[in-house]
Amino acid sequence: MTIESIWFPIAASDDLPYRHVYHAQLLGTEMAVWRADDGFVNIWENRCLHRGVRLSIGINEGVELKCQYHGWRYANRTAGCTYIPAHPANSPARTIQNRVYPAIERYGLVWSGIEPEGEGPNFEFLSNRHCLVLRAVSINSPTNMVIEELRKYQFHPSSQLDAKHVEYEVVEWSTNTLIVQAQSQNFSTTALLIAQPVDSYKTVVRGVIEWDDGLEDIPVLRHHAQLINQIRNRVESRAASIPVAELTPLNMIKPSQEFPSSPKQPESGRFASYQVTIARKWQTAEGVSAFDLEPIKGVLPTFQPGAHIDVHMPNGLIRQYSLTNGPGQTQHYTIGIKRESNSSGGSHYMVDSLHEGCKLDISEPRNNFPLRRDALETILIAGGIGITPLLSMARLLDHANLPYKLHYFAQSEKHVTFGEVLSKLGSSVVLHLGLGDSQTKESLHDILSIHQKRMHVYVCGPAPMLEAARVTALKIGWPDEAVHFEYFKNPNAIDDSSEFEIALARSCLTLKVPSGKTIVEILRHNNVAISTSCEQGACGTCIIDVLEGEPDHQDVYLREFEKAGHKKIISCVSRAKSKRLVLDI
Amino acid sequence: MKLYNYELSANCYKVRLLMSLIGIEWENITVDYYPGREHKSEWFLKLNPLGQLPLIEDDGFILRDSHAILVFLATKFDDTGKWYPTQNAEVLGEIAQWLGFADSLNSTAGSARLHDGLFIECDIDSCRSGAHRLMRILDEHLWFQEKQNNMWICSHSNPTIADIACFPSIMLSEEGGISRIDYPAIRRWCDRVRRIPNFIVIPGIFAAGPDINCENTGS
Repeated sequence: MTIESIWFPIAASDDLPYRHVYHAQLLGTEMAVWRADDGFVNIWENRCLHRGVRLSIGINEGVELKCQYHGWRYANRTAGCTYIPAHPANSPARTIQNRVYPAIERYGLVWSGIEPEGEGPNFEFLSNRHCLVLRAVSINSPTNMVIEELRKYQFHPSSQLDAKHVEYEVVEWSTNTLIVQAQSQNFSTTALLIAQPVDSYKTVVRGVIEWDDGLEDIPVLRHHAQLINQIRNRVESRAASIPVAELTPLNMIKPSQEFPSSPKQPESGRFASYQVTIARKWQTAEGVSAFDLEPIKGVLPTFQPGAHIDVHMPNGLIRQYSLTNGPGQTQHYTIGIKRESNSSGGSHYMVDSLHEGCKLDISEPRNNFPLRRDALETILIAGGIGITPLLSMARLLDHANLPYKLHYFAQSEKHVTFGEVLSKLGSSVVLHLGLGDSQTKESLHDILSIHQKRMHVYVCGPAPMLEAARVTALKIGWPDEAVHFEYFKNPNAIDDSSEFEIALARSCLTLKVPSGKTIVEILRHNNVAISTSCEQGACGTCIIDVLEGEPDHQDVYLREFEKAGHKKIISCVSRAKSKRLVLDI
Repeated sequence: MKLYNYELSANCYKVRLLMSLIGIEWENITVDYYPGREHKSEWFLKLNPLGQLPLIEDDGFILRDSHAILVFLATKFDDTGKWYPTQNAEVLGEIAQWLGFADSLNSTAGSARLHDGLFIECDIDSCRSGAHRLMRILDEHLWFQEKQNNMWICSHSNPTIADIACFPSIMLSEEGGISRIDYPAIRRWCDRVRRIPNFIVIPGIFAAGPDINCENTGS
């Protein structure tokens, strides 16, 4: 058993009050420790992945930790990056994820380790009873010298602080742990003392004693604080004369020699990366079922508001669903599915055939509908089931105290989806129920007419409503880049009759795209990796940068100014007007 | 109210901080402490023969020494009486005790910061070890205060000028190579000070996050 595999206490539970970040260190590794508002204890490597600044000076925002330097946000539980203020319109790459260490709260202490094994600490005498956590004391000394001195820990039973005669017994001891019992008359108290190795020359002594609630705690805590301080003074005066240990050379892992030459694994098709269980299924509104998807093993990855997942159904269909979760919620993903009357099998299958306990494969979350957090005010406009991504956005804006309004167009009260969540958002939610086409257009005009600089609007709903919102916003004078859309599907008929050539600048390949085939199909056929999701020009996953040539845009993902710029192409449906496109892939 | 002021001085910051917390209007007179050494210039020595910042001038009344200024400002301008409760002998005694402690922090942690940041000479090792000795005492004091539901340095339900006097040298200690990793109770108290309404910052000290529904910390 290596020292890295041992569970050590690195903090007391009381060290993690509301919205605080605790600074810990174990075996030379610094840790930023913070309790999220849901009670979860996060233990992370103490550096921002951006510029290496300590996260222990960051800000605990309850569901995210914000780096003090450039404001990068990292999510509760996963430590994945959720927002980069310098790039407010982009979604951070999924690979930006901090190192996390496991955490167990037990006996009033927070336990962790570098790579701890087993179920965590187990001390029978403290189980199922009240514990009193002693004040931790940091000692400038190697751990072995501290443990040696702690074996002479002569304390008094908690109810016998003034007793003249006390008997001591070391019940159990190891290289880092001691259990000591003190007895006087018929009273005894047992103490657990642990030496937390901070680094080779510093140790923190942590202690827990069994406790009866009838006693006054302050005198007992002072008694122990005084004794541990005495031990510290003795150990430090001895340790001061020993030579400082030599630095252990860093064990740098070199990248494999083959790494640069190994071929890229072609990713042909859409992969599911996670298996989940339907933990809960319920009807959240007329015709809409909600599903809580829980991981079978491990944790679900970080998502950002606006993100969607691919659900791979047992019948072979793949469908995209937006996550509705609030910030930092990664215990489960919650999606809402409307049973479409003209369904091609996806929503019928999900709603009719799947029940609680069923297993599903899902992709990692992708975010092609990112939410800026620097808007003066954010307007969210949802139509019907289009509420799902906007609900996640509203929950973040609500939590971060940013000004926003969520306008929700639904057929009737009965059709209001996730009403229980919406009701918690209070007056920021405005319902528009049972409106006809022309009334909807009027309302959209009213909502959008308050346009000011640095406001942003996000719209998701059925295609006619998106079209109406787009036209109205344009008329009122909203700039293109302030209006964000998410389509469920691409209503355009795809014209795939053209023939053209694509030159792949990075892969050094030139390929022909004949009529009837898409760019994605040709790339996959030639083993060039490309991620896709909806494969109909709605979600934006297969976006590629265009270096030369004029694309023939047929998607509904890119906005007008992006289409006019010829710099990007949605490769699952769009083609070329020019004979040749040079793509940055 | 005129304040003879240098932006990066921890002692000037104490005074600016209390003036912001109480809501006192003041006029800034910048003294170029570094690199100009203007605090040792003829004109400034006439006002303060010790050649030290800060110094205030209130209607012709001149006062030097940051802690003396805190006492004066809180007594004269704080109508609530919470920053320096003149009717409470015990708390006044405690405040005086901790103002002395804050002086020791100045001459240890404060000197180490000036050494590393502004190249002002001192015995850096003894400054740092002296600062750690003081911070151990303050951390243990604050830990027991928390256990008794008292969130501040003195036995008072509100922060006092003792908190303001100790805060800058502590919060800027890392600029003098003095880590606070071993003082978790001090780190929590720093969060609480930074959450007092109308708190202001200086380079090196950031505001804390909001404390909506702030629970009783630490106990």
